Amino acid sequence: MAAFALFGTLASLAPLVIQWANYTSPLYAFENSYVVDKFSIILKGLFILITYLTFLLSINFIESDKYYQGEYYYLLLSSLLGALVVSSSRDLLTIFIGIELASTPMFLLSGWKKGDRKSNEGAIKFFLLGVLSASLILYGFSLIYGLTGQLVFSEISTYLLLNALGDSPVLLLSSILVISGIGFKISVVPFHSWAPDTYEGAPLPITAYLSVSSKATGFVALIVLLTKVFATSGQSWGVILAIISGATMTLGNLVALQQSNPVRLLAYSSISQAGFIIAPLAVAGITGNYQDGIFASVTYLIIYAFMNLGAFLSIHLFSNFAGSDNFYDWGGIAKHSPLAGVLTTVFFFSLAGIPPLGGWFAKFVVFRSLLSTGEIVGISLAIIGAINAVIALVYYARISKVIWMDELKNPEQEQTFEFQNPLKVVGAFTVLITFIAGVFPGIFSYLGEVSSIFFGN
Amino acid sequence: MELLTNGIGLTAVVFLPIISALVLTAIPKSQELLIKGFALVSSIVTFVLSVLLLPQFDFSNADKLQLGNKITWIKSINANYEIGIDGISLPLLILSTFITVLAIVYSIEHLPEPKSPKGFLALILVLETGMNGTFVALDLILFFVFFEIVLLPMYFMIGIWGDKTVRSVAGFKNQIETRLYASIKFFVFTLFGSAFMLLGFLGLYYRGNKTFSIPELIELGTSGAFTGTFATLVFAVLFLGFAVKVPMWPLHTWLPDAHTAAPTVGSVLLAAILLKLGSYGFIRIAIPILPEQAKAWAPAIAILSAIGIIYGSLACLAQTDLKRLIAFSSVGHMGFVMLGIASLTPIGINAAIIGMVAHGVITGLLFFLSGSMAHTYHTRDMGRLGGNMKLLPKTGALLGFTAMASLGLPGLAGFWGEFMALLGAFNPLEGLNVTIFRSSMVAGAIGTVLTAGYLLWMLQRVNLGEPSEEWNEMELHDADGYELAAWIPLVILTILIGVFPKLIFGATNDAVVSLLTKAFGG
Repeated sequence: MAAFALFGTLASLAPLVIQWANYTSPLYAFENSYVVDKFSIILKGLFILITYLTFLLSINFIESDKYYQGEYYYLLLSSLLGALVVSSSRDLLTIFIGIELASTPMFLLSGWKKGDRKSNEGAIKFFLLGVLSASLILYGFSLIYGLTGQLVFSEISTYLLLNALGDSPVLLLSSILVISGIGFKISVVPFHSWAPDTYEGAPLPITAYLSVSSKATGFVALIVLLTKVFATSGQSWGVILAIISGATMTLGNLVALQQSNPVRLLAYSSISQAGFIIAPLAVAGITGNYQDGIFASVTYLIIYAFMNLGAFLSIHLFSNFAGSDNFYDWGGIAKHSPLAGVLTTVFFFSLAGIPPLGGWFAKFVVFRSLLSTGEIVGISLAIIGAINAVIALVYYARISKVIWMDELKNPEQEQTFEFQNPLKVVGAFTVLITFIAGVFPGIFSYLGEVSSIFFGN
Repeated sequence: MELLTNGIGLTAVVFLPIISALVLTAIPKSQELLIKGFALVSSIVTFVLSVLLLPQFDFSNADKLQLGNKITWIKSINANYEIGIDGISLPLLILSTFITVLAIVYSIEHLPEPKSPKGFLALILVLETGMNGTFVALDLILFFVFFEIVLLPMYFMIGIWGDKTVRSVAGFKNQIETRLYASIKFFVFTLFGSAFMLLGFLGLYYRGNKTFSIPELIELGTSGAFTGTFATLVFAVLFLGFAVKVPMWPLHTWLPDAHTAAPTVGSVLLAAILLKLGSYGFIRIAIPILPEQAKAWAPAIAILSAIGIIYGSLACLAQTDLKRLIAFSSVGHMGFVMLGIASLTPIGINAAIIGMVAHGVITGLLFFLSGSMAHTYHTRDMGRLGGNMKLLPKTGALLGFTAMASLGLPGLAGFWGEFMALLGAFNPLEGLNVTIFRSSMVAGAIGTVLTAGYLLWMLQRVNLGEPSEEWNEMELHDADGYELAAWIPLVILTILIGVFPKLIFGATNDAVVSLLTKAFGG
């Protein structure tokens, strides 16, 4: 079953490659509500790869408990389908279906460990807030529909333009509702409270998927909606998003400093990283420089996805080996498996943004887009971001410190370090991307053109 | 020889070490001899390569950037792989490759605990790539990447192989091992500076026709493209980034901890090369690109340097720990370097560069000696040491020699940097506040007296007198062949630079004069 799911995911890359090779101009379907452009092809590739890696992460876990293998893969694949729909949809209904299709299976998957109270608690929280967020998004959409009578993005913006409704308060209210709704999905402050509990309760591969793919889906939906529908009221939502972004980076970081559970640490770290990802969008809204903003956000998103998956892989390895969910118990553990130790170091310092690991380029393009116009909001966010990058280093470095520098807890431990082959593939793949992104960030250059095309049409 | 001139030579000097480090990790742990041999050979090859560049370097055009190349690196942001060296970076580059060889020679027999030659030597080689790269990078982003690459290896070097003494530190509930505290403090301080420095680079990029190329930005800067509040802010953040690294008072507090906690070789590399990355940044980037701002900030830098000199010397007088004393002496010596830079005169900046090289050689040697002594005596407490001349005559003699060099004895390398920095401060660039500079000069002069004071006092406490009885029972080993092999070259260099300072000035002078002429005219 695992093999089938893996094969299917990989096979679905094939049409993407063909589309990419034969690409001339964006293809529209269903009366402009569905599009195949380079932007969507790249994101689809990203989603498929993430899901593939998640499957690899899951194999050993899912085989160790006997029940519902089929359902597990089925639900994850459904979520993938939702993510794919989001990247291509260009009308309100399709994108809503995509968003919900991507997140609904996750309600079930996050409660996968049936007998575990934490898992149940996390799933319930996630479910309740997920429903709330869906209704906020829908409410926002209904306002636009009421205002314009249109569902397709291109027609909405034409209508807004023709009727000079660009700065209508209804549009602004609608954008605020949508930002709040999607804010839950991407867990930005103040909509983040579910994330640490759910992350902690869910099986680790699912947590990895939640923090990477679900988040990315939310970001893509946000990018599409903000640029295609709400661009005209960017001055106003830009400021709101900027405040959210600053608060998210800072709060996520400060709380992450206190964590001793590696999953909760990564949960808060990913909250903080979300602040970095939306910062360029906020400034783009204010200045209208969407091209740099989207380039920065998407680049960050891609690099973040792989290094964060890698980080989850490494804590998965070590918490299994040490049998402890408190990383302070992992003293000197890297001596049992220097390979896993090096991987952990690479991923966590990449998250911290230390060259030559990929994370530095992600942070760099974000700073670059924040400073692109010399707007005061952008400069303030850049300064907040710089301070946060330093704070974050403290807790990212702490894991490496514990596993390399602390004394070995029980040197006599005879237990062999298990590093199964599927996990090795995940490690190799993510570490490769992390290094390539850091040393040859030129490969992201095409994203610059892609985002200009994306915003142009 | 064509190969050496079109950038490939420099590229090899930069990347050979990191590639060797990767190869090193593939050698099985049991082949210890092979690991050490390979690391030594690769560092020697790197050094030889950097020396082979000398005949290719056109000294009559030392103010021009040479032997470099420019290749597209990150197209979307117009960051390029642009490298090259001139008379300013050449001595520093060779110093870096040279000290690395000595560090590895020393490590062959004297690995710190826990012994793991593979990891330790690989980290030294990665570190070398960062150091060499910083000296040849001519693109701000490339510079930033290399500037940061040194952080990870040094963090691990201090954190894993550092001083395991447990102590209490303000702000920590529990007692903490020195190495753990020092390593993260070093990392956080430097990252704090460089995060803001990066924002400054981006500011220059947007005001400067979207280029990160240092030569192009210098052209723009000297033609007055960066002015007003913008330039003040950018200089402020660049200052922050470089001053933390130098380190200038009051951003120096990471230094005594890091240097004291680091293993011997780590302290040597930190003192000899890593500190220079900061002062080099001032000379290569901050001053030529933002000359007007440099002029405005110069008095402040001079005052901070003077404070650093006095503060560093006074702190030295209060130390009981030999290694910590040498660490604090770096604050003072780098104060002279920065005072020279602040004067913005050819004399001052030449002084800064020779001061950087001399400090690298002399303080590097001091850290070697103190590290070795700490290893022999199992203590760094100067109260317990004493009579070292009788116990370890070779080490003691070298310590005496190096202390003399460090206090600026004429005829040895340390003299030129201090003396000329004071000379520069006496007569700073026209338009600078002479009173402030001359006061700083007086403070610096007092500093030289204090420096002599603490070093001589240190010699008296450590080298002279009768050995305490606790050493009677112990078998103490004086310097062995590997140690001497690492130290003697530094002694020779100290004398050579002291007697023929033209070794350095011959390369630097034209480059410095041209830099200042471009920046400040006339």
